[in-house]
Amino acid sequence: MGSAIAVSPSSTIYKGKSGQWAFVLHRITGFLVFVFILLHVVDVATVNSPHIYNQIHQLYGNVFLRLFEVGLLFALLYHALNGLRVIMIDFFPSAIKNEKAVFFSMLGLAVLLTIVGGVIILRPFFTGSVH
Amino acid sequence: MALSLPSRSSSANRSSGVKPRQNFETWSWFFMRISGLILFFLALIHFFITHIEHDVTTTTVSFVASRWSNPFWRVFDWLLLALGLLHGSNGLRFIMDDYIRRPSSRAIVKSLVYGISGIMFLVGTMTIVTFR
Repeated sequence: MGSAIAVSPSSTIYKGKSGQWAFVLHRITGFLVFVFILLHVVDVATVNSPHIYNQIHQLYGNVFLRLFEVGLLFALLYHALNGLRVIMIDFFPSAIKNEKAVFFSMLGLAVLLTIVGGVIILRPFFTGSVH
Repeated sequence: MALSLPSRSSSANRSSGVKPRQNFETWSWFFMRISGLILFFLALIHFFITHIEHDVTTTTVSFVASRWSNPFWRVFDWLLLALGLLHGSNGLRFIMDDYIRRPSSRAIVKSLVYGISGIMFLVGTMTIVTFR
């Protein structure tokens, strides 16, 4: 790790099929969740100023940030489930045989749970209680 | 301590060209698996409680106060903070190593990322410990 010497920029582009997409998506979702943690630490840190804290959390309830919340749920679910897949492959090498099927199951499960959670998160928007 | 590692252990930690020995990267690899497994439960339970069970607009200061009146949830949240930041900044280290090619830029971005992570750890810890 870490040595960029003698590695051409195109070397990160390889024809890895599902494994490559699993890896790319794992990085993107991990990065997004990490950025959210930084933001989240800041918003919770205002808890000793109740007025500001409550105002921020009212703001989190608007439609745009609710969509962002659903995106966060997907990133979290995908990263968690694909992480399990990575652990499986590392500790139980026989899992590599069904690596592709496991990837699509995890992706499917993440999408399904995001839809279920998304309906619950966005429900106030549909019932008209937020704008 | 002897750790037996599988020979193909390289989806996040891609150091397959390096001969296996127990250096920092071995422990980093192991830490990512263990912390990832713990975070699987911590992060998803936390998200479920604060976004699904409760609507985000009802997670007010009084909601936090009632939750943090129980030390269990303070420990839970602090573990999530500490492991999340460590797992996240170590993950970002792989990304920085892969995509920031100029050593000087890499050093600057890395110090920024580690610095911000450290400050956030202190801010978060202070918030959890000092809230009454």
